[in-house]
Amino acid sequence: MKPLTFMLRSEPEERLDLSGLTPDKLAGMPVAEIAGLKIGLSRRPATVGDVFKITGTDASNIVFAGGSGRFDLVGAEMGTGRIRVEGDVGARPGRRMAGGTLVIEGKAGLQAGSGMKNGRIEINGDAGEGIGGPMAGEIHGMTGGLIIVRGKAGHRPGERMRRGIIALLKGCGDYAGLGMIAGTIVATGRVGRYPGHLMKRGSLLFDRRPADLSLTFMDCGRVDIAFPALFDRYLMEEKILDRPLLGAKPYRFGGDNAVLGKGEIMFPKG
Amino acid sequence: MVAWIGSRTVPLPAAIEHVAKLLAKSRCPVFSLDSDVHGCRSLIALAERVGATYDHVNGRDLAHEVALHTDIGGFFATATEVRRRADVIVIVGDIPAAHHDLLLSLAATKPDLSRAAGRRWFRINGKGGPALEGELRRRAKVVEVGAPDLPIDAVLGILRASLGGRRTPAALTDIDALLGALGKASFPVFVFSRPTDPASLAMLQGMLIDINRKQRASALFLPSDDDAWGMVLASTWMTGFPPRTGFSTGSPVYDPWLCDIDRMIAAKEADLYLWVSERDEARPPRRGGLPTIALVRSDRPFSGAAVTVRIGKAGLDHDGVVYSSRIGTLRAATATAPSDLPSVAAIAGELQHALQSEDMASC
Repeated sequence: MKPLTFMLRSEPEERLDLSGLTPDKLAGMPVAEIAGLKIGLSRRPATVGDVFKITGTDASNIVFAGGSGRFDLVGAEMGTGRIRVEGDVGARPGRRMAGGTLVIEGKAGLQAGSGMKNGRIEINGDAGEGIGGPMAGEIHGMTGGLIIVRGKAGHRPGERMRRGIIALLKGCGDYAGLGMIAGTIVATGRVGRYPGHLMKRGSLLFDRRPADLSLTFMDCGRVDIAFPALFDRYLMEEKILDRPLLGAKPYRFGGDNAVLGKGEIMFPKG
Repeated sequence: MVAWIGSRTVPLPAAIEHVAKLLAKSRCPVFSLDSDVHGCRSLIALAERVGATYDHVNGRDLAHEVALHTDIGGFFATATEVRRRADVIVIVGDIPAAHHDLLLSLAATKPDLSRAAGRRWFRINGKGGPALEGELRRRAKVVEVGAPDLPIDAVLGILRASLGGRRTPAALTDIDALLGALGKASFPVFVFSRPTDPASLAMLQGMLIDINRKQRASALFLPSDDDAWGMVLASTWMTGFPPRTGFSTGSPVYDPWLCDIDRMIAAKEADLYLWVSERDEARPPRRGGLPTIALVRSDRPFSGAAVTVRIGKAGLDHDGVVYSSRIGTLRAATATAPSDLPSVAAIAGELQHALQSEDMASC
């Protein structure tokens, strides 16, 4: 069966809420019914048929042929299957995602993987602020799953995350892992100000010493523990990195001592 | 003269009718508001009617203050409770001049519901922070705590780690005096305003959580703009949410990013802009190509606006209701120079009426 494909007719005139176009929600739905779904966010909302030409039938494998910064909530709450976007997306792709795979070939807006529980998100371009973070009023960020950003990431990736892995392959902005409760953030490239600020537990793994580390992180020196080798192997097996990140005996800083102080920042060079 | 369509002077009913037509036709109207509580209430009701998104005129600063409550939460006291109970007051960073009278009044009183005979004052400051105003420093005998080479977020982090008995690599001036005072205090209160960054506020409120495990402590939040905070309260009791909120789907949706008016205009999502300010000489920003309706205190039409209406000011031209951080609630603002200029609430009411006619005409 051919993938269920949504071909973008032209740049949409309004923001679109695409949370309804997931494998779970479209399974068994006739094309005519899909075309009538309202997705616009203005007073006179557009329908799927207004914005996309629909081809294919396999709802477990969805393709958006053409992207836009106005595509919000792509793959939100999906629990199974695969979605691929051939272009950019807007805010909160993979919001509260519970399973499956979401691949974005272009850029993503803010809060990719916000509140994510499980599954895998791959973003080939840059990503906005708050990757895996909570929305206003929420206590926790992502609680599971894997997010890979192959471009640059914005500020506050992994804010208040409880579990899961975020890999940022061209660095990120300020406050990586802000208020982190647990989980792991991997970053190669430049990392902004105060990574791990207010983190209670969890691991921030970098390929270099952060330029501006919070004063409430304590230098623990070089550590000889099994975790770096195990995690390096995982990163290479998952094809996230093609060489070890930390190597043997990386440097470790413990913190944030302003809070619980059981988190860690590790990097291979002094 | 109170109304113009373009640069042409028109009677107010004609301008109202024209605005109603624009609102009825718009697919994505956005409102920027700055009025008293009556004005804000009436404009939020109008936003609900036409499916508009609304924010304060100075939405960017207000969003930081709102985020303190929506994203972080915390302990908050009113100025009255602080006056009667607080035996230690800690000023965090810079406090706007508008609130200095309140601080001076606190410095002139003693807590009557506390075991302590007086108050001790401290101020947490970091690199680049302005010096405390001389009169307050002198009257309250404020002890400065901080480090001249560290930003205030780092200072707060070191203070919190020290309070928790955890190691820190740097020391702060007079930190022992502050830790000693906090340890003995019955009700210490941290006074802050003008949020610098969310992380500092999270650190401050986290420190209050730590202190409250053993004793009572709270914070006095002084909004940088009382009128704007009045709008936050009105919005919250009307919709359940503070600004930035929108009604495009029929129900109120609070989203500080999605409903950011500046972003919506820059991204060309908005197709009509209603800008309202009761402040003298305040003018809407120029938004090339976007039809703009300006409700302003001006005797001239705003250049480039589709419609301009001259409005009165609550507390000057007509009675109003405003928020006062000094008493921690709303207060009446009686007109000091009553005039015939229409209030924002009156214009919004006329617009609701005109929109009913528009709805009936389209049936």
